[in-house]
Amino acid sequence: MKGRLAIPTIALAATLAVPAIAQADTRISIMADACNGCHGTDAASPGSMPGFSNKKADAIKKALMEYKAGTKEATIMNRIVKAYSDADLAAMANYFAAKNAK
Amino acid sequence: MTKLTRRTFNGLLGTAGLVSAFGISGCANGPAGPHVVVVGGGFGGATAAKYIRRRDPNMRVTLIESSKVFHTCPFSNAVLAGFKDMAYITKSYDRLASAHGVNVVNDTVVAIDPAKKTVTTKGGATFTYDRCIVSPGIDFKWGALPGYDQAASEIMPHAWKAGAQTALLRKQLEAMPDGGVFVISSPGNPYRCPPGPYERAGLVAWYFKQKKPKSKILILDSKDAFAKQKLFMEGWDKAYGEMIEWVPANKNGKVLKVDAKGMVVETDFDKHKASVANVIPPQQAGAIAFAAGLTDDSGFCPIDPVTFESTRQKGIHVIGDACIAGAMPKSGYSASSQGKVAAAAVIDLLNGRKPVAPSFINTCYSLIAPDYGISVAAVYEVADGKIAGVKGSGGVSPAGANYQFRKKEADFAEGWYASVSQDCWG
Ligand SMILES: Cc1cc2nc3c(=O)[nH]c(=O)nc-3n(C[C@H](O)[C@H](O)[C@H](O)COP(=O)(O)OP(=O)(O)OC[C@H]3O[C@@H](n4cnc5c(N)ncnc54)[C@H](O)[C@@H]3O)c2cc1C
Ligand code: HEC
Repeated sequence: MKGRLAIPTIALAATLAVPAIAQADTRISIMADACNGCHGTDAASPGSMPGFSNKKADAIKKALMEYKAGTKEATIMNRIVKAYSDADLAAMANYFAAKNAK
Repeated sequence: MTKLTRRTFNGLLGTAGLVSAFGISGCANGPAGPHVVVVGGGFGGATAAKYIRRRDPNMRVTLIESSKVFHTCPFSNAVLAGFKDMAYITKSYDRLASAHGVNVVNDTVVAIDPAKKTVTTKGGATFTYDRCIVSPGIDFKWGALPGYDQAASEIMPHAWKAGAQTALLRKQLEAMPDGGVFVISSPGNPYRCPPGPYERAGLVAWYFKQKKPKSKILILDSKDAFAKQKLFMEGWDKAYGEMIEWVPANKNGKVLKVDAKGMVVETDFDKHKASVANVIPPQQAGAIAFAAGLTDDSGFCPIDPVTFESTRQKGIHVIGDACIAGAMPKSGYSASSQGKVAAAAVIDLLNGRKPVAPSFINTCYSLIAPDYGISVAAVYEVADGKIAGVKGSGGVSPAGANYQFRKKEADFAEGWYASVSQDCWG
């Protein structure tokens, strides 16, 4: 939404805007799908890994930011979240929440 | 006679499978989009097939796999130690077909023609593709280690592909008398699962400690250092004292020759007589990668790191152990992560879009005992045309952690296994 408004008003740019947004979505979905190896497809963990398919985006975001800050107890998430920008962590949280809201 | 029947059967099955899984092209039901053929249904191939269908239900996917069921190498060391059984590491292809609409074909691919875009199987079927993804895993360089050929592996198992070899090595360990010597020959880099030989040593020690406590484990290594070395040694020391001895290459550990009949493993100056010998031989990409002209002099397959398309053959993507993936180790997690990236890239390319900058994860949990786990994790990106770890992230479990921490990671190792199994085949 925001991305679309930011595009200049010339018609050509407007037609280019759609693939640009789709590309951003694809990038985040690829990034987030890599988490499924530990958390299960769409984070619906079938075993002893914590799943978060029932969590709202804000709760997921909060956990990820706390792992990054080192304020939440972790065996491994602290090592993983450091690879991502805050914006990408938030976008992944939204992606998981949206997938599971369906 | 048998051959003819089999050929006809497979030929029919191939066609019938296509029709029932996809409907006839143009019908109201079933996808009518581009066709992707995936070769090999292990960690990489199964994930790629599933994730193409998840991302774009319009795509048609055929997965061709030699085996009726898959035996995972992950947790095969637990089978050797006796606290998991073969059923635990056996995966079915049923859900890829029923839940994800993948056309699963039980056959072996013998040729890929990048000009005609066809895949031919041993059973005599031919499949036409728009893009092909190849994930055949590894094969062994038989004979590269003098004395070690396929016949020798029936006496000194490698157990580096899970299944019959796992069962054979387990049987030998069970039959070994107390006070015996279990020799592991660990290969030089690169090979499948860098921490695997060391996890194996620890878990077999766990079994020996209970059932044959006077026995010894001797690791003869072609390397001077290994993955998670400090953590492994800390754990072995705590749990098994002197039972495991590791001999690095620079201390005359490199195995140069084996005599399977005499049960002797030779290094430069020493001959070691083994009660049970596990020889992990040098490795290369699976045979089909050679047949299709996908390999380079290293015996593995060079690829474009963004799309995993072969730099040797257009339209064929190589993932998993068979490909050269920069800093990513050859693991099931890596193969699966690459399968997801290749799936998205193939869909983009077939729809005339530019593939996006990818992101990957690898994790390897290793067990030292059923209640003692350690891990390594890393996130990867493409930087300067190569797959590299994202700086400032990843790494191994802390040294000197307490029992609760190691126990937690052992529980998460099993949790990871449940998740990754579901993510690949479920
Ligand atoms: C002891 C041990 C422990 C391990 N532990 C771990 C672990 O804890 N975590 C981890 O992430 N990794 C682990 N690994 C590594 C992991 O098993 C491999 O990296 C992984 O299997 C690679 O996946 P792949 O798709 O490349 O190949 P594979 O999983 O080997 O799959 C290849 C498939 O292709 C099929 N195939 C090959 N050629 C053809 C053909 N021509 N036609 C049809 N089908 C074909 C084969 O039958 C096979 O099913 C371990 C390995 C070992 C040996
Ligand atoms: C190596 C396996 C592994 C990978 C890969 C991984 N996680 Fe985790 N995750 C864990 C474990 C284990 C925990 C529990 C905390 C800990 O011990 O680190 C956890 C906890 C979480 C939690 C908190 C869940 C809760 O309810 O408390 C969230 C959210 C999460 N992970 C998100 C992610 C995201 C997003 C990714 C991908 C960027 C990811 N994880 C990748 C293993 C993993």
